[in-house]
Amino acid sequence: MFQYILRRLLYLIPVLLGVSFIIFILFNLVSGDPSAVLLGKNATATQIAELREQLGLNKSLWLQYLDVVKSAFTFDFGRSWATKQEITYMIKQGAYPSLCLTLPAFIISTFLSIIIALIVAYYRGTGIDLFVRFLCIAGVSVSALAYILGFQYLFAYELGWFEISGFEYGFPDFVPYVALPGIIWILLSLGPDVRFFRTVILDEIYQDYVRTARAKGLSEITVLLKHVLRNAMIPIITYIVIQIPSLILGALLLESFFGIPGLGGITLNALNSSDFPVIKAMAILTSVAYILFSLLTDILYTFADPRVRLK
Amino acid sequence: MKLFWGILFLSLIACSKQKTFDEREIFLISPEKISGFDPINASDQYSGNEVGKVYEGLYEFHPLKRPYELMPNLADGMPSVSADGLTYTIKLKSGTKFQDSPAFPNGKGRELVADDVIFSWKRIADPKLTSKGWWIFDDKIVGLNEWRVKYSTAESTVYDELIEGLKKIDQYTVQIKLKKPYPQFIYTLAMPYTYIVAKEAVAQFGKEFLNYPVGTGPFVLPKFEQSNRIVYYRNPTFRDKFYPSEGEEGDDKLGFLADAGKKLPLVDKITVDIIIESQPKWLAFQKAKHDLLELKDSQFEQAVDQSKQLKDEFRKKGMRLIYHPMLDVTYFAFNHEDPIFKDVRVRRAMNLAFDRAEANKLFYEGTAVEAQGVIPPGLAGYRKDFKNIYTKFDLNEARKLLAEAGYPEGKGLPLITVQTRNETVSRQMIEHFAKSMAQIGIKVQTGVNTWPELINKVNTKQHQMYTMAWGADYPDAENFLGLLYCPNKAPGSNGANYCHEGFDTLFKTFTILQDSPERTVGYEKMNETSAFEVPWVFGFHRTKSFMLQAWLKNFKFTEFQHTQAQYLNVDLEVKKELSEKF
Repeated sequence: MFQYILRRLLYLIPVLLGVSFIIFILFNLVSGDPSAVLLGKNATATQIAELREQLGLNKSLWLQYLDVVKSAFTFDFGRSWATKQEITYMIKQGAYPSLCLTLPAFIISTFLSIIIALIVAYYRGTGIDLFVRFLCIAGVSVSALAYILGFQYLFAYELGWFEISGFEYGFPDFVPYVALPGIIWILLSLGPDVRFFRTVILDEIYQDYVRTARAKGLSEITVLLKHVLRNAMIPIITYIVIQIPSLILGALLLESFFGIPGLGGITLNALNSSDFPVIKAMAILTSVAYILFSLLTDILYTFADPRVRLK
Repeated sequence: MKLFWGILFLSLIACSKQKTFDEREIFLISPEKISGFDPINASDQYSGNEVGKVYEGLYEFHPLKRPYELMPNLADGMPSVSADGLTYTIKLKSGTKFQDSPAFPNGKGRELVADDVIFSWKRIADPKLTSKGWWIFDDKIVGLNEWRVKYSTAESTVYDELIEGLKKIDQYTVQIKLKKPYPQFIYTLAMPYTYIVAKEAVAQFGKEFLNYPVGTGPFVLPKFEQSNRIVYYRNPTFRDKFYPSEGEEGDDKLGFLADAGKKLPLVDKITVDIIIESQPKWLAFQKAKHDLLELKDSQFEQAVDQSKQLKDEFRKKGMRLIYHPMLDVTYFAFNHEDPIFKDVRVRRAMNLAFDRAEANKLFYEGTAVEAQGVIPPGLAGYRKDFKNIYTKFDLNEARKLLAEAGYPEGKGLPLITVQTRNETVSRQMIEHFAKSMAQIGIKVQTGVNTWPELINKVNTKQHQMYTMAWGADYPDAENFLGLLYCPNKAPGSNGANYCHEGFDTLFKTFTILQDSPERTVGYEKMNETSAFEVPWVFGFHRTKSFMLQAWLKNFKFTEFQHTQAQYLNVDLEVKKELSEKF
């Protein structure tokens, strides 16, 4: 297993080289010269030229790419071109509110989805199954923006149950601020999650071993929880763990409408101001997170199914 | 599920916190992110507003008097200017203290002196700091450009090196020598870029200086956390500065002088929430979470009835509405290097075909002022009675001019692309413009760009037309007329690449004069020349509107809000009385 983990970690090298290359090409092809934007409406030609020099935009493309690669491997992203803030500090500051919102919401939505999927699987083919499937499809058919605007108006403004906007650092101070966006996140996730988990569970429910378990006289609940769920764990783990990196990135719309100073807003600002170092940092960190979490998924397989061997 | 109900429970508990009415605190909103607290990079209005709570400049705009009038802030009186307009001598108030900070020995702020002024202004020129404000001093102060060039390649910048144009005369006096007359210089001393910092703080915090503001201003902020909330407290060592006892006519009746003579700041605490989206701003204001709301997008429509008065439901809660023309201008710029637009008849025809009345209703609820020229109302050079004959809506005249130019019914003209930002309203504006132009046979399409893409297209002259708005940096029409001055061609502020010898001569002659009736006449001439030549399709001078809670006192519209917070007050009795209505 150790060799497997080491080999997967070594995959990071070509992936980071590839990601660096793609974001570098995209930035240079699509985005154009950021100097004029950074200097504002009164920028002079001399000022633009000076800033280009300082940002290293006058270096050869090859040398500029090397800088990107260097920062990808050292995780030294420097300072933001737009705000002049240290990027690692920006990410630290932004990751906390993002995770305060997304992590609890993700955990709750995942547990709820599995429970609902098991119930629906238990009542498969009945009115309950049909009703829940209808709700799932209806839920995903409504735009996230509609949930946000409607819930913010109703629950935060009209009923006053939650804060309308803002964030405070530290537990439990942040709770009133993330509770409503968290609930919206859960509602938005339930539709696709329940449908996916239901399909996975139903795939298992018709297997021979389930019939055997039933033949032995086990109750349907025991069959579902001890046998079906365990065997359905591999696709469930894959589905869950691979979502974790996106939690760190935050939820752009929710953060924006609820005034949560998370990483979603930081990324959007960077895109709007051609702030390449921040865009680069976010892209690289996301790639690394995806690789690490996919590795974690593989390791978890061995726990979920002892037959799995990592070679 | 227990966890879920637990979260709900905690939320309800937190939301049920009772408000107290014994603290003089005001709650404001910033609709944009704040990039940091280094004055030399406070280029946008909202960063400037925050920087201005902690730092101060030598001058500021009078909070009440209109037209805008400068008054001393850290300076002890207005500058003495030499007869040739090249030397400014400025005395500083003695006894002004920097805020207490670990940067100073024993943590106690020291007195502000002339060296601090010179140090702060040299920071704008320091090539290593790439200040966004360099344009205000670029090629204007004797020796400063040379100093900047000298240290552009050096390892470090030597601030102690003497510069002829920036001199300390004594502990409390600085002298500035300009290369050429630049009467707008005095306005730059009220801009956040030139606010005064302490060199100990710069040295102590290094690159993190932008997060540890140490100024002389009315409020303190120990650390900027880059959160969505900034909380300022009254500066306990703030000097004796008092609320003005005079303003413009009528201010007394409106209650703006009720706090005359009181020591500033008038409140103990300011909380600024950064909220970008419209709905949460609107809802939070309706719940009295904030005292002031700048109305944007459709919020104005939500707030007023058909007669543009605040709706009853808001008036019952004591809310107030103010809207005021801004010092700005919107325009559709031609690229004058495109041969089609060298013909003034085409430009005039397009101006005549643009249905401004309809655009005003559609995009500004009819509150904007149709631009007759470059200069907005409120500045010397703007004449209320002046009407541009080419900005009236006259399709017949437009068609006639177009035919005379050799394009009858638009035949022979290529498809014209107007570049704009990728925002819904910007695209809608071009759609409306295209509809107007179609009436005389000109085909227009929209070029959608991100902000960086648009700037690049304008700077590299890769456009036929583009839309833009320009807001005043300072209350002098030179700031607007410069948009049409030939030497400012792209990548400068003249993105239209317009060149007109007569206009340029007037510009060179009159913009170097001190404010005077003679200069005003010159500005009027330039405005009329531009109106006649129509270098752009003129748009509007927009209005800015605000809703205020009943208890917020002393808020008077100003284009230059940087120092306004210290004059604001809150009536706690009224707040307590009305709190039940929210």
